[in-house]
Amino acid sequence: MLTRRNFLNKTGAGFGALAAASLLEAGAKPSHFPTKVKTVIYLFMHGGVSHIDTWDPKPELTKRSGQTIPASFVKGLKTSRIDFTKAIMRGSPWQFRRHGQSGLEISDLFPNIAKHADSLALVRSCYGDAFDHAPAMYLRSTGSQFPGRPSLGSWSLYGLGSENENLPGFVVMSDGAMKCGPQGYGAGFLPAIHQGTVFRGGKYPILDLATPDGIAAKTQRTTLDFLNQLNQRHLAARQGDSDLEARLASYELAYRMQAAAPDAVDISSETEATKKLYGIGEPKTDDFGRKCLLARRLAERGVRFIQLYSGTHQGDDWDAHSDLTGGHNKMAAKSDLPISGLLTDLKARGLLDQTLVIWGTEFGRTPLAEGANGRDHHPYAFSMWMAGAGIEGGKVYGSTDEFGLRPVENPVDSHDVNATILRLMGMDHTKLTYFYQSRDMRLTDVHGEREFTKFLLS
Amino acid sequence: MRAFVLIALSAYSVSAQDLAERAHGVLAKNCLGCHSSAAKLSGLDLSTREAALKGGHAGPALVPGDAISSRLYKAVARLTGVPAMPAANLLPSAEVAILKEWIDSGAPWLAAPSTPVPNWWSFQPIRRPAVPAAQSTWAKNPIDHFIAVKHAEKKLSPAPEADRATLVRRLYLDLTGLPPTAAQLADAPAYEQLVDQLLASPRYGEKWGRYWLDLVRYSDTAGFELDTHIPDAWRYRDYVIDSFNNDKPYTLFLREQIAGDELFRDDPVAITGTGYYCVGPNRDYFPDQADINRVETLTDFVDTTSSVVLGLSAGCARCHDHKFDPIPQRDYFRMQAVFAPFVKTRVPLSRLESLGFDTGENKREIQLREIGEQIRDVRSKCKDLANCADPADAAKLLQVQQRLVKMFANYKAKPFACGITDISDVSPKTFIPGKGKQEIFPGFFTALGGGDISLDPPELPVATGPIPYQPTTGRRTALAEWLTKADHPLTNRVIVNRIWQQHFGRGIVATPNDFGTRGTAPSHPELLDWLASEFAANGGSFKRLHRLILTSSTYRQTVAPNPADPENLYLSGFKRRRLVAEEIHDAVLQSAGSLNMKMHGKPVVPPLSKEELFNLIGRPEETWVLSYDPTEYTRRAVYMFQKRTFRLPMLEVFDAPESMMTCARRESSTSAPQSLSLFNGDFLLRQARAMSTELSAVPDPIQTAWQRILVRPPTAAELESATAFLAQQQQNAGTREAALTELVRGLFNLNEFLYVD
Repeated sequence: MLTRRNFLNKTGAGFGALAAASLLEAGAKPSHFPTKVKTVIYLFMHGGVSHIDTWDPKPELTKRSGQTIPASFVKGLKTSRIDFTKAIMRGSPWQFRRHGQSGLEISDLFPNIAKHADSLALVRSCYGDAFDHAPAMYLRSTGSQFPGRPSLGSWSLYGLGSENENLPGFVVMSDGAMKCGPQGYGAGFLPAIHQGTVFRGGKYPILDLATPDGIAAKTQRTTLDFLNQLNQRHLAARQGDSDLEARLASYELAYRMQAAAPDAVDISSETEATKKLYGIGEPKTDDFGRKCLLARRLAERGVRFIQLYSGTHQGDDWDAHSDLTGGHNKMAAKSDLPISGLLTDLKARGLLDQTLVIWGTEFGRTPLAEGANGRDHHPYAFSMWMAGAGIEGGKVYGSTDEFGLRPVENPVDSHDVNATILRLMGMDHTKLTYFYQSRDMRLTDVHGEREFTKFLLS
Repeated sequence: MRAFVLIALSAYSVSAQDLAERAHGVLAKNCLGCHSSAAKLSGLDLSTREAALKGGHAGPALVPGDAISSRLYKAVARLTGVPAMPAANLLPSAEVAILKEWIDSGAPWLAAPSTPVPNWWSFQPIRRPAVPAAQSTWAKNPIDHFIAVKHAEKKLSPAPEADRATLVRRLYLDLTGLPPTAAQLADAPAYEQLVDQLLASPRYGEKWGRYWLDLVRYSDTAGFELDTHIPDAWRYRDYVIDSFNNDKPYTLFLREQIAGDELFRDDPVAITGTGYYCVGPNRDYFPDQADINRVETLTDFVDTTSSVVLGLSAGCARCHDHKFDPIPQRDYFRMQAVFAPFVKTRVPLSRLESLGFDTGENKREIQLREIGEQIRDVRSKCKDLANCADPADAAKLLQVQQRLVKMFANYKAKPFACGITDISDVSPKTFIPGKGKQEIFPGFFTALGGGDISLDPPELPVATGPIPYQPTTGRRTALAEWLTKADHPLTNRVIVNRIWQQHFGRGIVATPNDFGTRGTAPSHPELLDWLASEFAANGGSFKRLHRLILTSSTYRQTVAPNPADPENLYLSGFKRRRLVAEEIHDAVLQSAGSLNMKMHGKPVVPPLSKEELFNLIGRPEETWVLSYDPTEYTRRAVYMFQKRTFRLPMLEVFDAPESMMTCARRESSTSAPQSLSLFNGDFLLRQARAMSTELSAVPDPIQTAWQRILVRPPTAAELESATAFLAQQQQNAGTREAALTELVRGLFNLNEFLYVD
């Protein structure tokens, strides 16, 4: 790995260290609190995962399956597609079992993740107020239903910087666009370098990283040297302009990225056993398995924030209006083993303590049926979990009522969750601010007071 | 600290009358902006003794004779138990001491009431300052005198005038967004004539219209997961470009955008201005979101209008009284009430044509229903015309094709613009959420002399023009008139500051959307006021303002970093800037010889690679429908399809705005993805390859490349290294043309190309 000194030596004299470092927000910044956490891997299940079929068992719901629900329970609840007072209750088609020493109840959708029950801290009392995908995704990642604010990853990079000088500090992996579009991982009003960089598949994961087709490496390097030479002459007459210097450095950095990024995504050096752990090579799990393995490789390289999406906008996601069992079975089969592999691998390499792994989604699904085999969006209650980062696993924060309609204990909204994530990374969510439109803007706006780090760490 | 307070006290130990005057001076300067009878934030009014004794929501502000027990004193002394005030800044200890002594002596009140308008500088009326006479031969026009006086004060001297080629390039880019071509540089007339020539060029409106589009968060689509097209948004884009080209007076420009439907009922062009309120993000097409969407839309209207026209961030006052500026929550909802009756509408550009279009649509719809069935009938059996097992099915498909061709033979973009009007002359009521059922009536910011307005809905004349009349409330007309009234303290200050910023890289007020107490103080307050009053005296002409700025010596300086003025706050030189995204895009096309100067029209959708489209929501064949005519692909960037969830990658990396909120100033970042885009990206490579084909046919390709890209001949040293480079690359890459492509790629990536000196 290149150190900064090494990097500056190689890029030649004359570049201000600041100029070069500013290109990627490289160079770690001090945190507000001491923490071991260096990286966040956020596994985002796109489409809305049903909480009552995964992490939040509701035997009472199963018992009353087929009945309508008393009107008093659903007062004030609404969705686009079903009428809460008329739709019938539907119990989960999946069995819940107790796992690990802790006896955490998890459904049969995630047999592999369940093996890590004693490492997971479940949060069963998430809620929000946006019941369409995009606004709910913005809410989870930016704290506002309205697009255009900085995302959690961008805030993290802004607050802590990155520890790798040749890779972006905030990497996003997906199969294509999500319903939130790029604003789900955008920098909003923060400087653009804090935006999530999308890693595509293939050897060259970053847009325009590959030398164009038909141009040989030697040709490319020769042109770069020529460009450098002319730029140096231009700069010589304009000494001290750090913008010009930074741009010269940016070409060298781009060139190094051409080496560093393919190296980061090249998994050929991984053992067969490791690949198997992630389900690489198996048709169902290969794709998400590769992403999870890349996440570990990026974490090893000091990338600050890695956001993985399971599911895209093209219908291949967790949305389950018409086929809950088919869709959730399929999506779980794709991601269960890879996520379990990631946890196992991080643990084995001693990386889990310095990595915060988050599993989340934009909303839950209605305990009431939509059509013959569906559930509608349910932002009023849903689940997520966290692991690593020194979190004591095998426990549950918050709970919902007997039907999974609303949180009853320790409700947490997106601000509370984001405040907690920042806190685990060593940041005080009230102090991580950026002055914009006359205000010290925060990820958590004026909220986040129900941050629950203490519970997680004790 | 203690010693200081004692000295301060003794310095101010004076008679009761004098003490009251001083205390009231402190109150007027620091407190009354928010706590007067007009603004009354937190319910507190400090303008009379009775009101101060009564206090605000939290209780009495004063205990006469006992400062330590008075909330007012505790607040300014920053003692615990009450919120520290003023919120935006610390009161100097001397002033705190005055207040203490005054309260301790019984808080006597002066007979004369204090001024209700807060003492904040930007809320004061604009008084045209006299142009100072600087002792300087450098000063060419009034601007320079203001600047030179400050130079003298700060012991700075101006940088020398830049050379002609530098100035021509600077002017071209600043006024047209395009660098000069070699021929334009050679033929450029004298400096002042060049300014006039470029101001008269249609390219001017494309460049400066783009800035206005940034401000009003323009986009062709609505955003969110559906990201639907905003019907006819581009008509508004063209309206903006034309308005700048026609040098439309600023007051008229604002009036058309805010209330064109009421003020100019017979003028479709003016009404197109109300597209301002259609081109923002919205969820108009979401089912069951009407309530949220309406609230968000009204919020967007108030926030955008307040930021763009007044340079005030009112957003805070949506949820509570503004903590820093004198905008009570009530004022926010007064302004929201102005927009409460709005409804989005189609603006027929010509009554006859629009009726013709609708008639045609009516017929087409009937035919399409049947064609739809016909297609459904054969769809399962044929993949396409060439793959039909049954000739009868093929015949049906062929017939579909023929019917469609005939139907759309004369199809043209529909003759409508998007705009807003009122739903009727009665408005829905406005309330402050969670604050009871007291109706809020339309009005404007109290601290700016607004308050409630009384309204008579405008009378409707008989319709004679193209547009059917509809009754409206007149609320937006009242707003437009208030914002454009001759003595408005903010409107002109804010806009001249924006124009100044675009020419010098930094505004006289460095926070262009914040002229409130959290904004930056003006570096040259008299100059700002002089410019604002000059702008008004010139009828709000942008072109005359540009001319004034551009013909100054201040503008013509070289880039000369001065350690004594590191931020160039005092204009002791010119500030180098990077080209903005659109300028890079357009300059590459111009140099490559492929720039299509066609103006106006529906947004252009250029082809992108699969990698580039990776983040596009929806299937490209539905959401990225390529423009049919390939010559369109190389038009200026301002005409490219601007999708809210997907920016053209090349523009995005160079900081093109996201268009979610108003963008008053482009960022100018430097990043590796920019270098990757320019060095490896499709856009540049395609142009480089096209150009190298041309270059391989000329006798002096190096000179030609230099002239076309850098607009100057190569130096001897450059010629030498370029010749060696070409030879080496011909060896590396195999062909002369490939080597020339490399030369062109290299030149397009030069700082010399990407920056303006």
